[in-house]
Amino acid sequence: MGKKVGVFVCHCGTNISATVDVEKVAEEAKKKYPGVSYATTYKYMCSDPGQKLLRDKIKEEGLTGVVVAACSPKMHERTFRNAAVKTGLNPYQVEVSNIREQCSWVHQDKAVGTEKSIDLVRMMTEKTRKDTSLDAIKVPVTKRALVIGGGIAGIQAALDIADGGNEVILVEKDASIGGHMAQLSETFPTLDCSQCILTPRMVEVAQHENIKLYTWSQVESVGGYIGNFDVKIRKKARAVDLDLCTGCSSCWQVCPSKKIKSEFDTELGNRTAIYIPFPQAIPSKPVIDKEHCLLYRDARKKNIPPEDSKVCRKCYDVCPIAPVKAIDYAQEDEIVEVKVGAIVVATGYKELPNNVYGEYGKGKYQDVITGLQFERLASASGPTEGEIRRPSDGKEPEIIVFIQCVGSRDPAKGCSYCSKTCCMYTAKHAMLYKHKVHHGHAFVFYIDIRCAGKNYEEFSLRAIEEEGATYLRGRVSRIYKKGEKLIVLGADTLTGSQVEIEADMVVLASAMKAQDDAEVVARTLSIQYDKDRFFSELHPKLRPVESSNAGIFLAGACQGPKDIPETVAQASGAAAKVMALLSSDELEREPVVAKVDRLPPPVFSTCIGCFYCQRVCPYGAIEQEDIKARDGSVIKTVARVNEGLCQGCGLCAATCRSKSVELAGFSDEQVYAEINSVEFN
Amino acid sequence: MIEALRKKAEELLKNKTVSVVFGYGEGSTPERTRPVFITKPEEVNKLTWNKYCVYNLTTYLKRQETRKLGKPAIVVKGCDARTLIVLMKESQIKREDVYILGVSCDGVGDPLAEKCKACDVHTPRIYDDLIGEKGENKELPFDERYAELDEYENLSEKEKWEFWQKQFEKCIKCYACSNICPLCFCDRCIVEKNQPQWIDPSAHARGNLSWNVTRAYHLAGRCINCEECQRVCPVDIPLNLLNKKLAKEAEKNFNYRPGYNIDDELAMSTYNEKDNQDFVR
Repeated sequence: MGKKVGVFVCHCGTNISATVDVEKVAEEAKKKYPGVSYATTYKYMCSDPGQKLLRDKIKEEGLTGVVVAACSPKMHERTFRNAAVKTGLNPYQVEVSNIREQCSWVHQDKAVGTEKSIDLVRMMTEKTRKDTSLDAIKVPVTKRALVIGGGIAGIQAALDIADGGNEVILVEKDASIGGHMAQLSETFPTLDCSQCILTPRMVEVAQHENIKLYTWSQVESVGGYIGNFDVKIRKKARAVDLDLCTGCSSCWQVCPSKKIKSEFDTELGNRTAIYIPFPQAIPSKPVIDKEHCLLYRDARKKNIPPEDSKVCRKCYDVCPIAPVKAIDYAQEDEIVEVKVGAIVVATGYKELPNNVYGEYGKGKYQDVITGLQFERLASASGPTEGEIRRPSDGKEPEIIVFIQCVGSRDPAKGCSYCSKTCCMYTAKHAMLYKHKVHHGHAFVFYIDIRCAGKNYEEFSLRAIEEEGATYLRGRVSRIYKKGEKLIVLGADTLTGSQVEIEADMVVLASAMKAQDDAEVVARTLSIQYDKDRFFSELHPKLRPVESSNAGIFLAGACQGPKDIPETVAQASGAAAKVMALLSSDELEREPVVAKVDRLPPPVFSTCIGCFYCQRVCPYGAIEQEDIKARDGSVIKTVARVNEGLCQGCGLCAATCRSKSVELAGFSDEQVYAEINSVEFN
Repeated sequence: MIEALRKKAEELLKNKTVSVVFGYGEGSTPERTRPVFITKPEEVNKLTWNKYCVYNLTTYLKRQETRKLGKPAIVVKGCDARTLIVLMKESQIKREDVYILGVSCDGVGDPLAEKCKACDVHTPRIYDDLIGEKGENKELPFDERYAELDEYENLSEKEKWEFWQKQFEKCIKCYACSNICPLCFCDRCIVEKNQPQWIDPSAHARGNLSWNVTRAYHLAGRCINCEECQRVCPVDIPLNLLNKKLAKEAEKNFNYRPGYNIDDELAMSTYNEKDNQDFVR
């Protein structure tokens, strides 16, 4: 082929050179590999002088292909390709052979590491010799963003993007935005009231001219690709016309179903069937809970349209709006179709329920509550108006026990990870309790105290030193009821003694889990999730807000447990990424896309149209194309790749039995050459 | 039954519902049948039906020569009808482009073919017309259906490997197995791709192994075990043993029998969150 390949072997300090004889790798390449006209080593190829070396040698030696043997291409492929572009070489003539993560880091024997590196570099050289020049694909950008989830993460991201001058569509599945943060009492480490700092942001969202808010709505489907997503939003029928309703509150005052457990109050308080979740809700307009509403129940039972039921129409009758009332029992779900250029996923988390642990009563003790329930008790707007009272009898608990790591760090019942926020909120709970029940005493069972964050350590020490909470290092083995008391049996591992506490109330610092429907959301968006069903970031360090699907970004606890400051920071990070994306009119995309072959008649394509590729494609990038004769009759139907949608994952190429699909930059010829260059013994 | 079949074929050809009937005709000896392609109503007497109708005629749906004859009516046994379902799922035929003449069948071959021993589709599960009595299809238990694998599965890994090496050594790369297979319908088989040449076309041990293993893999989760490949193999390689083993694995892992339920999604190209994921670590 006459290609002149240059091989550049990186020492990576001693990361590579400690277990790989880099000089020998370069020497072998130069001496033995066909097509290699130059080979050298350098201490840090990614450094400025390293890149300069690469550029200089491309020019001096007239290189037409480059292999950099270094770290994973995920780290620096782009670096080296960009360097090569400056010399006029096509970036796709530059390949990275990973001799660090998959070689030097995993081997201890230098001889073995060197031998393997030689093989890896030879394989990549063979591939490079067959590299073709590729040009970036250009796609237009729709300057509008979708934010999914109206908790603090979604609110922050939406406001930042909207302030940057772009249209934002914010979709929230509940009746109001606010998310979990709206449920919290006071927030660590400053103890400012959560609602006081959140609700102004919520109002801002409602009033922002660039934000279109859809509450009681869900994303139904997402098609398209970065810069050009086609989104369908299901506006669930709330039985209330948002345009007409003024939020006057007449309807929920007359609603006869008053004993429905309030989700917002973590089932410690009640709500009506037509309700707003909390007084500061945005929008401050109600929704009818069709499961509990008498009218809808009657309609279901009799199998008649709800508007025909006569059982209870109190909300309708009382509604003062005229001539058309704001209550509309016949309202149906509506599908809204929008085009957006970028998406921020901020779907949040779910608290592990308190019925998982048999030893903690499996949810049957009313006075064993979760952290979020304690937040509602401590909240001025909560069911007890901020007084700490036991759910069972309303008495003030004089002895309270907090148990940390409930679910967290317990792979058997909950999750293997640390939920990160519980150490801090338990310290906060102990403090709030002490502030409200002066004569009470708080015990905290912990495994470790992890309070890494600005002013966090000081905060938790305050709970111990100033607020007098007794911290016991150990696990609670059992809770049982004795009269009105809850007996908490635990261990104090620091003194090596058994502890028995007669408590009035127990608070479980329950784990933060992924939302129940996380997998469904991930599939709708074609993004990846981890073993705990939290959405995966593209790179754990360097690309923490990007999802695996280009143009879709992550914010908040849907990506992993996070507290408010971290969530807000990530949301702003995601917003910055969105704004960068929406700032240009056209996008350049990697040309590493699949292609279904096309041949002259009478074959047209070796594709036989079984469409396995279409079914396995996670991005919906495979289309069916009819190949027609002159008279318009269909000769055959074959697969075609939509380049805009293709992410170059290669599943189609792998699944094709007739090998009719190839991935640019990873052609069969290249892969075959790579495999054949390995010396089997 | 033969009379009913002939009458139906005549009627279909006469009123031009189809232009050709793919069926079984009498062979050179009474113990043989051969495929016949009837295009004229007056020729329907060539059609026959007996226990020697072993072949799976659906393979003619993929062939240019027979495709040219126009819309076919095709005589299928219960097992063959499963092929039709796979072909429809894989976009190779449209339901409306084929007229299905299902025949009830108590088993074919003399002695009884292996495929008939654990048959639970005596009546085709899809047809336009049924010739013969509609029998009861009770799905046989998993173990019973794969009983013929018992002996093979008792072999050690080493013994299995040696067994197949010996078998594949015989292969002369005549490709009769893929020619007869109704589901080997690619215009260009992977073995014909020569840039790069993934599979060595010479009849040598290495190329033989790649060919036979690739063929079996390409049928995993698709093969309905009609045993045609094994029947036509001139060197008697027990190809269906390999197919059946893969069918068993596919069913075990994905609870999927190719061509059994028309509504089932193709196991090998459909993601299902209920799929066995314990191989992911």
